[in-house]
Amino acid sequence: MIEITEEEIYLPEMIERARSKDAGAIVTFLGTVRDDGIEMLEVEAFREAALAELRAIEKEAMSRFSLKAVEVAHRTGSLAVGESIVAIVCSAGHRQEAFSGCRYIIDELKKRAPLWKKERGVRGERWVGHDEPAGK
Amino acid sequence: MRIVVLAFANFREILGKKREMEIKEGATIGDLLGELAAANQPFRVAAFDDSGALRDYVLIMVNRKRVSPALELSRPLQDGDELAIFPPLAGG
Repeated sequence: MIEITEEEIYLPEMIERARSKDAGAIVTFLGTVRDDGIEMLEVEAFREAALAELRAIEKEAMSRFSLKAVEVAHRTGSLAVGESIVAIVCSAGHRQEAFSGCRYIIDELKKRAPLWKKERGVRGERWVGHDEPAGK
Repeated sequence: MRIVVLAFANFREILGKKREMEIKEGATIGDLLGELAAANQPFRVAAFDDSGALRDYVLIMVNRKRVSPALELSRPLQDGDELAIFPPLAGG
């Protein structure tokens, strides 16, 4: 299942969905909110475009790494330090494919899925990943 | 013709999430961005440099496909197109 959700991510449910008789390995990745002096992280999505991109990435990973199942959940909304931002679960016949598939999905998600993060902290607010021009 | 304009992240804060714009037949992506900039000073400063060139960090999708602002500003829009404006991606 691929989802973009305002609800908390439950990794055990994703793992159970990825479990199968022909899988010998399940690899999980959790991205969490790091305390870089921030109070909250706001996550925003271009939901329809991000879902389409994540489904394309899932399809590529399934085919390249012979995965048995893929689960991706990405949060939106306000997140506190330590909360999960993104969870990825890959099952495969063997561990190498599961590790490689999981790494491929998070790397491609960061490059291609239209999602943004804004840090809110004691020093103010900033969108992650770019510096806005002065004068705004 | 009517174009749906979506904006995300810092551009949403400036332009609002969604608006419909009426532009002349044959108008290009560049024409639409120019109209937005003419009507909205904060957007002009955020999206264009002092020479009037679109800043590198402005990303565009038309009908949910990325377009290259460097190559496709002169591409004509069609009635009903959805154009999205956003900064570099930062998911995960």
